[in-house]
Amino acid sequence: MADDLEPAGERKVIILVVDRDPHVRELEAHFLNQAGYSVGFAKDGDGALEQARKIVPEIIITEILVPVLDGLTLCRRLKADPETRDIAVLVFSILSAADRAREAGADAFLLKPLAEHTLVDTVRQLLEARSARIKRAQHVS
Amino acid sequence: MFPDGNPPAGRLPTGIRELDEILGGGIPENSINIIMGAPGSGKTTLAEEFIFANANNGKRPILYLTTLSEPLDKVIRYLQHFRFFDSEKMGSAVQYEGFGTELTANGIGALLPKLKDAIKTLAPKIIVIDSFKAIHDLSTSAQDMRLMLHEVAGLLAAYNTTVLLVGEYRHDDIATYPEFAVSDGIIELARNSLGTRDERYLRVFKLRGSAYQQGFHAFDITDAGLQVYPRLVSPVEAASYKRDVNRTPSGVPGLDPMLGGGFWTGTATLLAGPTGSGKTTMAIQFILEGLRRGEPCLLVNFQENPTQLAYQLEQMAGKLDKDARSRLELQYYSAVELSIDRIVVSIFRALRRNGIRRVVIDALGDLATAAGDPTRMHGYLYALVQHFVVMGVSSLLTLETDPPIMASHESHGRLSHMTDNIVFLEIRSHDGIVGRTLRIAKARGTAHDLQARELQIDGGGLRIGKARG
Repeated sequence: MADDLEPAGERKVIILVVDRDPHVRELEAHFLNQAGYSVGFAKDGDGALEQARKIVPEIIITEILVPVLDGLTLCRRLKADPETRDIAVLVFSILSAADRAREAGADAFLLKPLAEHTLVDTVRQLLEARSARIKRAQHVS
Repeated sequence: MFPDGNPPAGRLPTGIRELDEILGGGIPENSINIIMGAPGSGKTTLAEEFIFANANNGKRPILYLTTLSEPLDKVIRYLQHFRFFDSEKMGSAVQYEGFGTELTANGIGALLPKLKDAIKTLAPKIIVIDSFKAIHDLSTSAQDMRLMLHEVAGLLAAYNTTVLLVGEYRHDDIATYPEFAVSDGIIELARNSLGTRDERYLRVFKLRGSAYQQGFHAFDITDAGLQVYPRLVSPVEAASYKRDVNRTPSGVPGLDPMLGGGFWTGTATLLAGPTGSGKTTMAIQFILEGLRRGEPCLLVNFQENPTQLAYQLEQMAGKLDKDARSRLELQYYSAVELSIDRIVVSIFRALRRNGIRRVVIDALGDLATAAGDPTRMHGYLYALVQHFVVMGVSSLLTLETDPPIMASHESHGRLSHMTDNIVFLEIRSHDGIVGRTLRIAKARGTAHDLQARELQIDGGGLRIGKARG
């Protein structure tokens, strides 16, 4: 079910955007590309899970209200799987559900509509936190 | 990285404080709004005032797209006449763009890519499309238009921007044009003829997820933009206010004993009588008494300008000292030229600004002229009197009974309900001698003298004389 609107090209896909709305996917991709990130897409939770296992992006940005598998279930499954638990999950939704996102194991929550600076800043923070977490884990091992 | 709760929707100021009050704080951020009205109703002026109120150099810009109604140069030429215009913001914080040629060449399908491109390159915090209705004229089918609008609305809702769609829509269009279904807010601007003058009104039809002041609100367009006069409604605390237990002396010798010591403070008194019966004289005495007691007073008059009124006051009381003069506010209006909304709002503002304790409105018939009809005046007057009562302001409202502008049975009944005291001044012939009399028809909450009494008049004003049979 993956919906690759943009070929990944030579760059590593580090952000997977999951949203049913093509306008949101397109605008998110534009602003994230502009900020230097590569972006892949899924338009439902099932497709996103499949892609996540295949390409293991650094970040998944997901709406809660996506078909087949909702964004919070997607988050729980990602965090329950050792192969994907290090992927940072940003829940970006029209639903005001920060607490539910936290309970599902998400790393951050943003309420729509899309504000490009907030989105890019949050992505940067998530990448920094993820990088620090991985370094700490490597140091311990 | 987990914000608490559901943040309240932010508001963008319209640039017009009174309109912001009507809208519950301004236009909600990230909403799609329609400004509708006939040509010349002030739609573009409102949109322009809004964008300049929100334009900040160095921050996200505002995009104003003109389509097929007015040429861009013409829009900008007239925009510069307004005081809110700021040339330093043009081209940076405010970006005007003509889109009519592109639309004509490529059809309505050109709008979605245009907006996407604008979002990607400008990231505008506000987008205005003027006229959006004109885009309908290029549509080849209703279905195409509906599909395009669905896409455009989806895009605009997904992005952090506030949208104004300006158009010459009529009421019938609300049920048929799809943009009304997707809009979050609808503001209508209208113009009605009233006698020899035009009255402008705005009303909010819809504001999703937000309380707003319903009904028609008057406005003017000046070089400062829109001057809005929110419809005066009764105060919310009307049911719970605490009535004053003090008396307000009338200033008319002999009248206060008839009322048990004066009018209750914070009550409204209707002073009715024919021409020449002494209404204005008694009203001035009421004001002078307040000034003598150090109370801020407001005298609203429709026939004599402030200079004439000040002269009349001085004729009765001698030259007012500086302190007394500073406590007196004289408001003069031409009832033929001004709308009742503007008058009533100005009165109300004076009450709040100056801590007024006594008000005279001389006369209600003139206020009815400004309203266009007595029924409308009753609505405004009721709200105004309720505000007087809640604020503890004692008011005296004069009413001409000859000719009977407001003196119909029904009208009198309504005035009687909304006022606490009713005093009739009459001109009677007794034993072949014509003289003035005063009669208290009603004084709520007090045992009053029911007897008609002679009214004597001299340079100092009116005084109560002996009882008449």
